[in-house]
Order: sequence, then structure tokens, then C-alpha cells
Amino acid sequence: MAETAFTAEDFQPAAATESAQAVARPSLSYWQDAWIRLKANRRALFSLYLVIGLALFTLVGPLVWTVDPSLQDLDQISQPPGADRHAVVVAPHRPWDGSATGSASLAGPQSSSGGLRLAEAPTTQSVRLAWTPLPDAAGYRLYRNLFPAAEGQALGLPLFEIASLDVRHFEDRLDLKPRTYHYSVVALDAQGRLTGSVRSLEVPVSRVVTAQEAEAMGLVEDAGQLSLGDRIKLRAHPLGTDYLGRDLLARLMAGAQVSLFIGIVAPLLFIAFGVIYGAAAGFLGGWADQALMRFSDFVVALPFLLFMILLRVASGVQPGESGITPMVLAMVLLSWPAAARLVRGQILQIREEGYIGASRLLGGGAPYLVLRHMIPNTLGVILVTMTFAVPTAIFTEAFLSFIGMGVAPPTPSWGSMCNEGIKTMLTTPHELIFPALFISVTVLAFNLLGDGLRDALDARMRSAE
Amino acid sequence: MAETSNLAGEAAFNRSAARQLALFGLAVLIGLVALMWGLNLLASLTATASGASPAVDAANNAITVMLAEEPPQLDSTRSTDQVSGVVLGHVMEGLLRYDDRGELAPGMAEDWRIDEAGATFHLRADALWSDGQPVTAHDFVFAWRQGLDPENASEYAFILYPIKNAEAVNQGRLPVTELGARAVDERTLAVEFERPIAFFDKLTAFSTYFPVREEFYRATEGRFGADADQLLYNGPFKLSSWVHGQSLQLDRNPHYWDQARIRLDRINVAYITSDPNTRLNLFKDEKIVMTGLTAENLTNALEQRWHIHRHMDGSIFYLEFNHRSGRLTRNHNLRKAMILAQDPGELVYKVTKTPGYLPGESLFPRFLEGIRGKFRDQHPAPTYRMDVQAARDHLERARLELGLDAFPPLVLLSSDSPVSNIQTEYFQAVFKKNLGLDIKIDRQIFKQRLAKMTSGDFDLVLAGWGPDYNDPLTYGDLFASWNLNNRGRYSNPEYDRQVRIAQSAMDAPTRMAAFAEMQRIIHEDVVIIPNYERGVAYVTHPRVKGILRRVVGADTDYTYAWIE
Repeated sequence: MAETAFTAEDFQPAAATESAQAVARPSLSYWQDAWIRLKANRRALFSLYLVIGLALFTLVGPLVWTVDPSLQDLDQISQPPGADRHAVVVAPHRPWDGSATGSASLAGPQSSSGGLRLAEAPTTQSVRLAWTPLPDAAGYRLYRNLFPAAEGQALGLPLFEIASLDVRHFEDRLDLKPRTYHYSVVALDAQGRLTGSVRSLEVPVSRVVTAQEAEAMGLVEDAGQLSLGDRIKLRAHPLGTDYLGRDLLARLMAGAQVSLFIGIVAPLLFIAFGVIYGAAAGFLGGWADQALMRFSDFVVALPFLLFMILLRVASGVQPGESGITPMVLAMVLLSWPAAARLVRGQILQIREEGYIGASRLLGGGAPYLVLRHMIPNTLGVILVTMTFAVPTAIFTEAFLSFIGMGVAPPTPSWGSMCNEGIKTMLTTPHELIFPALFISVTVLAFNLLGDGLRDALDARMRSAE
Repeated sequence: MAETSNLAGEAAFNRSAARQLALFGLAVLIGLVALMWGLNLLASLTATASGASPAVDAANNAITVMLAEEPPQLDSTRSTDQVSGVVLGHVMEGLLRYDDRGELAPGMAEDWRIDEAGATFHLRADALWSDGQPVTAHDFVFAWRQGLDPENASEYAFILYPIKNAEAVNQGRLPVTELGARAVDERTLAVEFERPIAFFDKLTAFSTYFPVREEFYRATEGRFGADADQLLYNGPFKLSSWVHGQSLQLDRNPHYWDQARIRLDRINVAYITSDPNTRLNLFKDEKIVMTGLTAENLTNALEQRWHIHRHMDGSIFYLEFNHRSGRLTRNHNLRKAMILAQDPGELVYKVTKTPGYLPGESLFPRFLEGIRGKFRDQHPAPTYRMDVQAARDHLERARLELGLDAFPPLVLLSSDSPVSNIQTEYFQAVFKKNLGLDIKIDRQIFKQRLAKMTSGDFDLVLAGWGPDYNDPLTYGDLFASWNLNNRGRYSNPEYDRQVRIAQSAMDAPTRMAAFAEMQRIIHEDVVIIPNYERGVAYVTHPRVKGILRRVVGADTDYTYAWIE
């Protein structure tokens, strides 16, 4: 047995060292954890960026792209994006009596074709044609076509007809585009039938603008700065223009304000109401709960779109006034029960939890319990409902505007823009595609974001990982 | 061992997964093909069931057409709409009718005489109803009494007012028997006039003047004109079936007197749609023989290399001001400012872009005849040239006269059609840009718009007017102070005086001078802002000839058509 000698040092208290039970990672709050999960979900993250981008597009966009969405650029109607926009300055249009003008020297190679000739340089302002008498004619009819017409084929759109030989000139102003047209003049017999003698002419039309129009459109400070024949650039329209020459990008931004305003304000309001209603029902319980929830069942049973339209009509929107407020009101009145039911269910569950009992024993009053413990614990669910409600609301707005029950002109919304674009779907598809694309992308982004949020916020998902 | 078997199992699983996927894909493909085939079969079955036929059926000498809407009913004494007018124009005939050159021709009457006091019509002996009985003078008297009977409440009763006592009968002040039209014998109809009238012959071609047989009318017990068998026909065709909301079928009337001119045996009205794209597709698929074109589908039609026709239908469209007291638009300077601030040429050529439209200049469209030549050639319409500066001056004067600090928004009432939507938005921007005026657009469906027009609930209204008969008076009396269609309640004693002259004068120069004077007053007083005269561009089936488009009467008229 060896003697063990104890020194005084052995009896000193041990130095304070780090606890062996150190926490491996920093403590995370509920929201930090949710954020980490959301970040891991690339789909949701991308959607979040899209939503942020849309918010910027709506709020910052109009500050950057300062074009009036209701300004009509009648020289560029239904322009697709990226169209050429050079124009030559010409004098304002004057009525024409058919007499040869100063530019009669304009004897281009095509203008000598047969009996049909140009009296002046063809422009988008007007195409002035004159012709020499045709054999066996008792009258004339003038056609315009997009293609050269072969023998016996259709000559195109009839523009003018006269049962007289005295008038042998015509001025075409109908919807002239900077492109090549094929004009034909045919002789008519005394009964107004075609005789078969045709003269055709290929006419390349150039884009023009008057100095006054240029000034009105803000292209130049003062019309006096321009002289005839100057080449100027018309207004830029990155996404093209609509059927009245309004800038599509500016209209999409203005439309986004309406669409997103309704899409966010309406869900905020009806979910706030639903939360209060549901919390009250869940907390009170008993007959009060029964009565409140049966009333919410009644509201759910109302046919949604029918009542939307009825409420809008009944709210007495004056003609020409935008129906945004009644639309929001109608949505709030009809959409709250979903949130109320959800919150009531959660509250019923939470009410029985141990910490509620503890809090109650420690003297917590009803408002304290609801506000401090119950509602914060349902926030995740509420947030998810909210993100799913936004696309629904946007869609409802778009639908109502599409059927003409939405905003009043000239205020655009995505839905009303689609409604206008669908009429020209075949000829100028961009007027429909852009607003439709914005609706689809917005609705999809909010849906995916909501999906990601649900995964991130649902407490039960944590153990599954 | 365990490892290998595991790998093999995985490979097997992968193989089976791939096979499952391939099988699934195949099943989907087969399912889709079967579905398509089934739907196609179903479509062809229903198509034959509803009697859809090709546009041209040469074997049966039949054509297929469409209508924009279904006629509400076909009682000629009560009909007001254009669609009823088209159908009635095919199955009925008045005392006179319009021929294939658009000129008045004998109809039920083979001979007639009109003077200042009245008219006498001699009916032809072979004028028969579709049941083989003769059309008599009594049938006309009965129809006109029906049209005027206050109990019948016909909206077109006013068109019978040239007949003696007609207005009093319509207002219930005299019994219907006091109407100045009587049957002298079975085949002679005598008409007394309220006052001399220069164009009574043209009126007799209008549908309200068509005959109705009394005993048949009584036998229908209030359902007259509601169905194919609740109507008697005296026109070139008869209605042999009418499936409500779906189709109508018109067959040659074997009892019609002028068999020589009918060349078709049947006209199927197989489609009732007002959607221009549907109509274009029906035409493209050779389901209908004619369709109109809009600005949007014009390019499409040109690409198809169709033969395009053009027709001016005589309708004029304009912005009508509300002249009721208390309305700002009663102020002449405001109206003048507004007319100076816009350009109908820009509206027609750049905004509506519809082929066939002409910029509006006058209340009287270009087709109206004057004395040996067109009225508008002899009396060119005075017009305003757009002048924004002058417009602003007038607006300032209006503001001072009205004692306003700023103009409140004006309400622009319009119907809810694509063209009027574009038009109202254009005007909204033009008046805002050039005058700084705010315009509120009040879009209403047709009936609602009419109700609001009647009650005067507007500042400006987008209105239009089509001719009832081929005389300038059909437009001219529109702004007579007593006319109920004068929705803006414009009232000007001088204008009224000119209308009275045009109504009762018999000689053309006096009447034309009165119309020229009306045109001048409308222009100077800025009663309306003319927008455009409507025209239509349309395409017809290359094998069908002789389709007529008319300014007055049935537009479109197939009674002269034939298959080549």
C-alpha cells in the first residue's frame, strides 16, 4: 500500500472549465429555423425572388419607366415589341382634290406601271393614287392587297368605287402600316361588274409623323425645331403597344398596381377578420362557437362569383368609377370563413396544451392567453393561408376584369388587358401574351412560395427531417 | 451474396419501372386517340342531328347562312330589330318592294296612284298567302290598325302616322276604325293622308306596312309570329321550321306570285352567333355562304385570298349631346370646343380601322338621293377642321359663361360592343389631352343604354341611326323636338319648321333645300359630333351569286341569289 501524499494543491477548487454539455449549434428561434428551411428550398427561394421582383416592378417600375399608361400613340397602334420606329417628318394632312402636287416629279420605277400611278410619295399618313382611263370603263373600283395578285385571284380589300369616269384619283388613309401594299384599279361596266381590265401597282409605304404630333408626343420640345424631311425616332415601346397605341409596359405596371393591390389588401383584410373571428370562436367554445361557426358555414355556402357580381352591382358603383373598393369589400365579405375555420381549429387544439394551463394557473387572463400564446402559435398557419390567398385574389380580380366587372377605363388591370388582347389574338398576339404571362407567373410564384412556407413553418415537419 | 442480389433487384426494379412508364405512356396515347375518335364521332353525330349542312348544297339547291341573333318574334306589326327585318324581308312582301337594283318595284300591288290627298293601290290577282288564299285589301287595313292599336304598343307605330288619323288612333283618342285606310273591294286599297307626303310609296315597303290576315291572327290567340306555324307568308319564302335559339329553315313559297325570280329552293339558317371569329371560322370551313369582316380578321381574310366586297349600310354614328336644361352640354361653346378638338378621320382610319367606314361629316349619309344625283354632292356638308387652339378658346368661353372654376367630369354613355369600347376610350383620351376634360365612360348593354338615353341620364352618348325608308327625312326628323328618338331633347323652332316643310312639301327642290338647311343647323349648332358612316367588308361563297346587301330593307337579301 503506497502512501499517497496529498498536497494542499489537491484541495484547491478545480478551475472553471467549459461545460461538457455544450450545445452543438447556436439556439435558433422558430423564424430563424423557418428561414433556413426556406433557403434550402430552391423552388420557394426562386419564387420569393420573383415576388420581390414583382413588387419592385410595381412600385419602382413606374419611377423608372415614366410613361403615362393612358397616353395614346396613334402612330404606333398594336406595335409588336422591337418594331422599327424611325419616321420622317411631314406636313400635316390636307384634303386632296386629286390635282397633281409639287411632287409630281416622283417618277419612281414602279410608279409608271400601267395606268395606275402615285400622285405623291406614299406615307403612313396617306397614299394618293391616280390613274389614266382604262379601256371600256364606265366606273372604277380600287383594291388594296398585302400580296401581289395573280391572274384571276382576289384583289384584296375594296376601298373605293365610283360609277363615273371623271374621278380618277383616290386617297387611302385606312390603317396604313409601313410595309408594301399592292393596289389595283379595275374598270367596271355600266352595271357595276368587273370588266377584267386591271392595273396594279406596288406601293412601299414609309412611316411618317407630323411635327405637331411629334411635339404632342413629347419627342421634341418644340415643333419648330423640326423641318420637313427630318428623320426622327418615335417613342420606344419595349413591350409594344396596344390597340390604341398605349405603351404595354407602362400599362402592365399600372395594371400590376391594381392587381397586386387587390391581391394583397383583400387577403390581408379577410384573413385578419378570419383570425379574430376564428380565435373568438375557438376560445369561447360552447354555444358561442357553434353559433359563430354555423354562420361561417352559411357564408361558405354562398356561390362565390355570383355574389361577387351581385355585391358589385348592389354597391352602386357610379358609371366611370373604378370598382376596386367594392371588389375588395366583396372579397372580404365572402372569403374570411376559410381562415376563421383554420384558426379556430388551431386554437381549440392549443387551448388544451399544458403551457396554457400553466399560464392560466399563474393568473393569465383571457386576452393575455389569446394574444401571447395562442395567436403567435397559429402565425405559421396564417402566413401560409395568406400566401395561398394572394394568387386566388389576383385571379378573381383578373377574372372579374376579364368579364368587364372590374376596373373602369382608362385604368388598366391585367384581367382587363387580357380581355382587350383576346380580340386581336390572331393578328397581334403580344397584347394578350404579356398580361396573361404576368398573371400566370404571379399566381405561380405566390403558390410555390406558399408551398415552401408551409414546409418551412409546419412544426410537424421538423421531426420528419 | 446479399449485395449482388440487392443490385440485381435494383436493376430489375429500374427495368420494371421503365417498362411501367412505357406501358403507361402507351396507355395514355391509346386513351387520347380513342377519346379524339370518340369526340369526333360524337361531333359528326350531333352535326347530322341538328341538320348542319354545307354552305352550298347544289343537289337540294340550298344554301346555309347565319344570323347574328334570333328574331325575338316575327309579328311584322310589332317588330323593331334588324334581324327580324331580314327574316321578314324573305318571307313577307308589302304593297311595293325593292328590286335587285335597289329600286321600288311592284309587290302585292300591281298598280298604284299617289297624290296629295291619298293613295289607291290595286292588288294583283295572283297575290296569295302561303295557304293558297288571296291577299286582300282587308289584310293591309287590319295590319295597319294592329300596328297603331295602343294595346299592341308597337314601337314603330310612328311610321304609319302619314295615314289620316293614325296618330290619334295610336294615342287612343280615336277608335282604330277611324284610320284613313279602307278596303274599297277585295283588291283595292284606298289610303287618305294626314297631310301631303312625298315618299309614301317608299314607306309601303317597310315591314310595319306588311299585310296580316285577320282570321289567322285571331286564331293564333296572341301567339302570332312566335313560331313557324303561327305565321302566314306572302313572300318568296316561307318559314318551314324554327327551332328557337338554334336554327330556322326557309323554303320556297309555291304560292308566291313571282316564281320566276326565286332561284333557291331553301335557305338554312343553321347558326345564330354574333362572334366575328366564330363566323369567320364557319365561313372558312364552308359552313356559311357569307360573313362580315372586322379590322382584326381582315389580314386573315386577305391571306385566304377571298374575294372581299364592300357595302355601305347607311347607318350613321355620332356623339349626341344632352340638350336638356341643367346639363353643361347645353352650352354651345362647350359643344363647339368638343367638336373642334377631335378628328373623325383619325377615329376611322387609325382607331376603329374597320374596313368600309367613312369619316362622319353630316347627319345625312352619302347614299341619299337628291335631285338627279346624290344629296351630299349637291349640298356638301360643312365640316369643322380639328383646331385645338380654337377649341381651347371656346372651352374657356364656355367656362366663363357657365361660371365654373373647372369642368366636372362628363358622362359618356355607350353600349358594350368592341367597336364602341375602343371609340369611347379614344374620345376619353382625346378630350383629356386636347381640352383637359375628364370623361367618365358608362358602358351599358343595349337595352339599358336605350333606357338611360330615354331618361336623359348622360352628357354625351355614342348613338347611331339606320334608315327606315329611302328618304333623307328618316334622318332629318330625328332632331325634331317632338321625336321620341331625339334622346338629347334638342329643340330648335327653326329646325322644327324645316322638318315640317320636308314632311309636307311635295316638290323635291323645296324638300332638298329644307334638308340642306337642317344639315346647316346641325352643323352650326353642333347638335351632334358625327363619327362615321358605317360600311361593311364581307366575303361570300364563290359559287353563290346574287346576294344583295341593302341600305333599306332586308340586309342581307338572298331572295335573288342562285348557286352557280
